[in-house]
Amino acid sequence: MRLNLATAWQMIGADLLRLRKKRGFIALVLAAVLAPLLVWTGYQVLEHASNPAHYGPAGGLAHFARMLTLLGVFMGPVAAVLIGAEAGAGDIAAGVFRDNVVTGRSRWALFFARIPAALIVTFTAIGMGLAVGLAVTFGFAGGLETPSLSLILQSAAWLALANGVVCVIAIGLATLTGSRPGTITTLIGWELVLSPLLVQSTSLGSARDGLLDGVVTFLKPGPVVGGPPITMSIGVAVLVTIAWLLVLPALGAWRAQTRDA
Amino acid sequence: MQAIHAKQNHDGPALQTAGLTKRFGERVAVDAVSLSVPRGTAYGFLGHNGAGKTTLIRMLLGLTAISDGSASVLGLPVPAQRSAALARVGAIVEEPSFYPHLSGRENLTIAAAVRGPEARTRVDGALGRVGLEKRADDRVGTYSLGMRQRLGVARCLLSDPELLILDEPMNGLDPGGMLDMRQMIRALVEDEGRTVFISSHLLDEVEKTCDVAAIIDGGRVIAEGPIEELVAGGAGELIVECDDAERALKLLAGDPAVRELRREAGALRMKLHGPEQAGEINARLVGAGVVVTRLEPVRHSLEERFLEMTTRLEVAA
Repeated sequence: MRLNLATAWQMIGADLLRLRKKRGFIALVLAAVLAPLLVWTGYQVLEHASNPAHYGPAGGLAHFARMLTLLGVFMGPVAAVLIGAEAGAGDIAAGVFRDNVVTGRSRWALFFARIPAALIVTFTAIGMGLAVGLAVTFGFAGGLETPSLSLILQSAAWLALANGVVCVIAIGLATLTGSRPGTITTLIGWELVLSPLLVQSTSLGSARDGLLDGVVTFLKPGPVVGGPPITMSIGVAVLVTIAWLLVLPALGAWRAQTRDA
Repeated sequence: MQAIHAKQNHDGPALQTAGLTKRFGERVAVDAVSLSVPRGTAYGFLGHNGAGKTTLIRMLLGLTAISDGSASVLGLPVPAQRSAALARVGAIVEEPSFYPHLSGRENLTIAAAVRGPEARTRVDGALGRVGLEKRADDRVGTYSLGMRQRLGVARCLLSDPELLILDEPMNGLDPGGMLDMRQMIRALVEDEGRTVFISSHLLDEVEKTCDVAAIIDGGRVIAEGPIEELVAGGAGELIVECDDAERALKLLAGDPAVRELRREAGALRMKLHGPEQAGEINARLVGAGVVVTRLEPVRHSLEERFLEMTTRLEVAA
């Protein structure tokens, strides 16, 4: 059974269908991305309205930078983990993986079809977050400086990288473990608690360069917010990103190949 | 390791195994099973729960590794040419699973995507074939078990299969659902020329549905053949009515052809060493001047034969 381009597109489309049709799940993903953004922005708008002399406008470049951190380091990765876990273990949880295997289709193909579909959902959700963030950045800028088109494009690419890598890692871990809850708990705990703590632990020295959070923060475009800048060579950043991008997905692909369906 | 040298043609058996064995540590789940499933038949694979039916199916489909022996599907050795072999196979293992949040049609669309472009053109036809076209756009989570079983068969049909492997397809179905499933399977065989391999512990259903069957017990095949032969096989049992039952009883008592003999409601019921000895019994009675008014082989149900065989094995063990 050969895998041609038409079949590959069909398989990606099929994975996309099963993800996007899960309405409760999609609502959760959008809530993870948009709700903190809207709450935080709304709070800033109210602050500025109540005391303009003390609190600046909610928009502008500083808002844009903080919005990027929220979408690229905190809530965006949470959404990416939810999507990756569903993409990686959804068919196993539903029992459909076995039915897909008995078609004779290669298990590699079954695994790799999950990645583009999950990335499409992730990028769509993050794109919506970015759109809302940009609307606030420009709509509530007042007289403040706003980001250039070049910075916006760089930021979009950075968000895609930061969240895409987390999504692919989640797919790998979910396929490896076969467990959505386990994957979500582990990776959200890592992303929101353990990894930020380790990045801030100066005693770890250059060992922190191996943390994805450190790399993502280092690569973030625009003004630095919230703490001292992280420094490393661009070569190290690229190598660390590739390593994270390869290891867990490779383990997931291996497990998809060997799993007793 | 025994080997199967199957030709890649359309005349050989749909499924063939030689010495197929599966071990889980020390435990042997399937013990040197050799089967040959003729094309264009409904083949029943009978056994108690835990007899090794599903394990054998999982080996055939490449879901679990073969410990020893060999197997071919549609003339192609598995697992070596598993992908090519399974391209024309539809299978339900254990129970059909679907995404409950998607409709029947969407589930089939997803399954078809894995099969390839041609399979997508068969989605509507497959839904119609199993009588689900009116509920095709409802969420599968709202389907009854019978509907999910039918949707499972529809998913099998997406590959236009030469061979369907259905693991316990009657499980959980009500009598009406069983009848529907039986009729569907017969139509797949008789009208469309497909081969259907059914594993089941529901002996009555297999007897009504299948042409050929094998009985597996403790991982070993203990009988294989056409249903008629399986039912009629074994010792051969006879009911004889005559004008003088008392005299006939005395004549046949101690006859070497007769294993067991008793009176039953005015007739004689006897077990012979072989079914061919019925003629000898008739000749003996007629020769002695007894008028034989009825001489009828006892037809067992498959269930009786199955229990007889498996009980015999248990006693021997």
